[in-house]
Amino acid sequence: MRTSFPRISVILVTALVVLAPLGLVFYQSFLDNPFFAPKIQFTLSAYEYVLTDEDFHSAFLNSLMIATGMTAIAVPLGGILAFLVVRTDLPGRRWLEPLLLLPVFLSPVVLAFGYVVAAGPVGFLSLPAEAWFGFVPWDIYSITGLVLVAGLTHVPHVYLYASSALRGVSSDLEEAARVGGAGPWRVAIDVSLPMVMPALLYAGVLVFFLGFELFGLPLVLGDPQGILVMSTYLYKLTNLLGTPSYQLMAVVVVALVFVTFPLVVLQRTLLRQAGKYVTMKGKGARQTPLKLGGWKWLALGLLALWLVATVVIPLAGIGLRSVVSSWGRGVTLADQLTLAHYRDLWEYPNLIRGILNTLGIGVIGGALSVACYTAVALAAHRWPSRWVRLLDFLVLVPRAMPGLVAGLAILWIFLFVPGLGYLKSTMISVWIAYSVVWLAYGMRLISSALLQVAPELEEGARVVGAGPHRVNLDVTIPLIRFGLLGSWLLIFMIFVREYSTGIYLLGPGTEVIGSLLVSLWGTGDIDLISALSVINVAMVGVGLLAALRLGVRLHG
Amino acid sequence: MRNTLLGAAVAGLLALPAMAQTVPEGYPASYKDTIAAAVKEGKVVVYSSTDAAQVRPLLDDFKTLYPNVTVEYNDLNSTELYNRFISEAAAGAGSGDVLWSSAMDLQIKLVNDGYAQAYESPELKALPQWSVWKNEAFGTTFEPVIFIYNKRLVPDGDVPKTHADLAKLLEAKAAEYKGKVTAYDPERSGVGYLFVTQDAAVSPGARDLFRAFGKSGIKLYTSAGAMLERVTSGEHLIGYNIFGSYALTRSKKDPNIGIVYPEDYTLVMSRVAFIPKAAKNPNAAKLFLDYVLSKRGQTLVANQAELFSIRDDVAGEATAKAVNAKLGDKVKPIKVGPELLSTLDQTKRLTFIKQWQQAMQGK
Repeated sequence: MRTSFPRISVILVTALVVLAPLGLVFYQSFLDNPFFAPKIQFTLSAYEYVLTDEDFHSAFLNSLMIATGMTAIAVPLGGILAFLVVRTDLPGRRWLEPLLLLPVFLSPVVLAFGYVVAAGPVGFLSLPAEAWFGFVPWDIYSITGLVLVAGLTHVPHVYLYASSALRGVSSDLEEAARVGGAGPWRVAIDVSLPMVMPALLYAGVLVFFLGFELFGLPLVLGDPQGILVMSTYLYKLTNLLGTPSYQLMAVVVVALVFVTFPLVVLQRTLLRQAGKYVTMKGKGARQTPLKLGGWKWLALGLLALWLVATVVIPLAGIGLRSVVSSWGRGVTLADQLTLAHYRDLWEYPNLIRGILNTLGIGVIGGALSVACYTAVALAAHRWPSRWVRLLDFLVLVPRAMPGLVAGLAILWIFLFVPGLGYLKSTMISVWIAYSVVWLAYGMRLISSALLQVAPELEEGARVVGAGPHRVNLDVTIPLIRFGLLGSWLLIFMIFVREYSTGIYLLGPGTEVIGSLLVSLWGTGDIDLISALSVINVAMVGVGLLAALRLGVRLHG
Repeated sequence: MRNTLLGAAVAGLLALPAMAQTVPEGYPASYKDTIAAAVKEGKVVVYSSTDAAQVRPLLDDFKTLYPNVTVEYNDLNSTELYNRFISEAAAGAGSGDVLWSSAMDLQIKLVNDGYAQAYESPELKALPQWSVWKNEAFGTTFEPVIFIYNKRLVPDGDVPKTHADLAKLLEAKAAEYKGKVTAYDPERSGVGYLFVTQDAAVSPGARDLFRAFGKSGIKLYTSAGAMLERVTSGEHLIGYNIFGSYALTRSKKDPNIGIVYPEDYTLVMSRVAFIPKAAKNPNAAKLFLDYVLSKRGQTLVANQAELFSIRDDVAGEATAKAVNAKLGDKVKPIKVGPELLSTLDQTKRLTFIKQWQQAMQGK
């Protein structure tokens, strides 16, 4: 096949970028010392230790439970919300959409902290509730609380996939069903749902991964009860022997990779006949919103409830924390109001640099990453080959590494691969680390957009003599432009929020808000943390609104 | 990156008229060579576990003193700092010129493993003996390890003055303080482990106190931030083994935090600094280390950064002088030296953790 060479080279480059850090981690898992130590021996003792450790078992079970629970909450809810916003005449859906995405902007540490201020044992919601009922009717530090918070805050991830898929679907099938007498619920289940199945499945698998990788939420909410999950177990391992034990950490990562493998196989089985989901045919995708009628208020209520639980409560918590000097039981908040935390913020040049760098890596870095992801996705597009199956697995692999470990592995690559050293501690290294870690994420969004492009459009172009590049440039890419835009938005948000990957690359000039927050969290400057988080949210909120404007204009 | 370049360019311009820098008072005349060499190096890379925000007054003043030496301040958690340093050292890549961390045991391990260079600092004679090891590792602060409590919610009569008081309080008012005491988790936090093993070494009653913690359902955390915040909010009432420095900073902003220097004994920890053998800018590193240890630097350490000065000749609330005056021989500094290596001994560690776990079950 004539087109194979460029495709294979793109896949090989991806493989190299993905497998280098992972290979290093695998190698490390069989050693008795850091791989760079002067004396090393091969041994299985790290495996022996971890696999027989009771804490590992309970952490694994907790992670499994949380991942399952949050997928079960996030996927249906995300799908329903996407349907309501994209497909129906839900009142106010235009301005609701940016709010729907808000939880993604918040670093989970901050989000969790917002919940503590609002709904923790002495939160501003809990104290009145306690006065009313005599006790606090919820416990956000329990594993149920954790699942609920994780599930609700991951709804936007599903929403983005589902809505981007729905936007590409013409509404004539739904209209036909409506005309035939089906209610909105029936239309959603029998017509719309099957059409966005691939997007939902991908989203589900990814949310499940994210559940395994969850770090910020359990760090804050699981701390008081000592609930261990895989990532916080890594913390414990680090401390157990006094000095960090890379081989034990590596074994945990290997275990995570083994969890992801069957999922990828499962996903492939589910999607074997991607053809049946083709919905963007050589005909215009005309969309008419479905009339909800009386259902409208129920739908709006559901959306409002989710918004309050997931956006309003934690944001109010963190927002409140940023303007008071103290809070909790026995405090009259009105006496504590202050803007000093914000004023303090501007006195620290490293924090200001962090804010600017974060914006830069989100906007510019995000766009560059989407370009790379698109190149990789196109390399696999319409190419039934073993290479593509390899790629499917490859892209999911980095996500199996907790951000902190991935960051360390990437630092090792920059350190020990000759010629890369000068990139270390520049924003380029941070960008590469982010792009690798979030590869699966961006790729899935782009490939589920690609799945909806009917082959006849590309074949048509090819028949009239266009080469593969011309087909990509003139047919495929323009058709998936909304997918690309959505993808860029998603990556922007993810990069802005990311907090664990950049830690090992942190230095003067490479500060990003996420790493700064983690660093401040350790020593206790929660005044600065809350102010910085609010600025972060505001900044990204403005960015998102601007992008949505742009998106709206592209629609017309 | 651009900032650094710009900084270097500006520093270069400033170097033209400034030229020779004066040698600080009491330093040998040969120190001017160190300064000249440091100016030639132009910068010092500091890896530190102390927030840049907290030590900014220090960094600003260093800049006034040596305008031609830029400080590249990397602010990392202590474990990350250790990981990054040993990786960079193994790769032979550039790393920190000064390593400055609150993880005393990890710092001593690095020194013991031969990563540090000896340096006879002109400030040596002003430092207590326990705070310097082999002229390689230097204690830079004198931070008491203290109790905190919520002033709104803990009645004056309850405030524990000693470790034994705290154990008694938890027994006498078991219901009121159930789940209301917080401390570092020694299983998950290196510094938490260091503190409780020091407790066990200093005080025969430590085991009883830990058991009392276990019975009271103590909440264990991994970060000082979480504990300070939850004690001020009233979610918890008493915090055990908290860095006096962070608590003092917080109590200045928020009057709800009360601080107790335990009267039976108060542990004192010290942020340990050393200059790696492989430092690329060793002279600038010496300038920075000497500055941090100098009276001028320590005055800011005490009164602006609230990190507690280790020198006897610095006055103020957050100083060794004030803490010693208050507690006399009840002050138990954690010695900067090879004794700290035993906290990293794996067998001892696992044994201690097992005992701790039993104590947590009230056994």
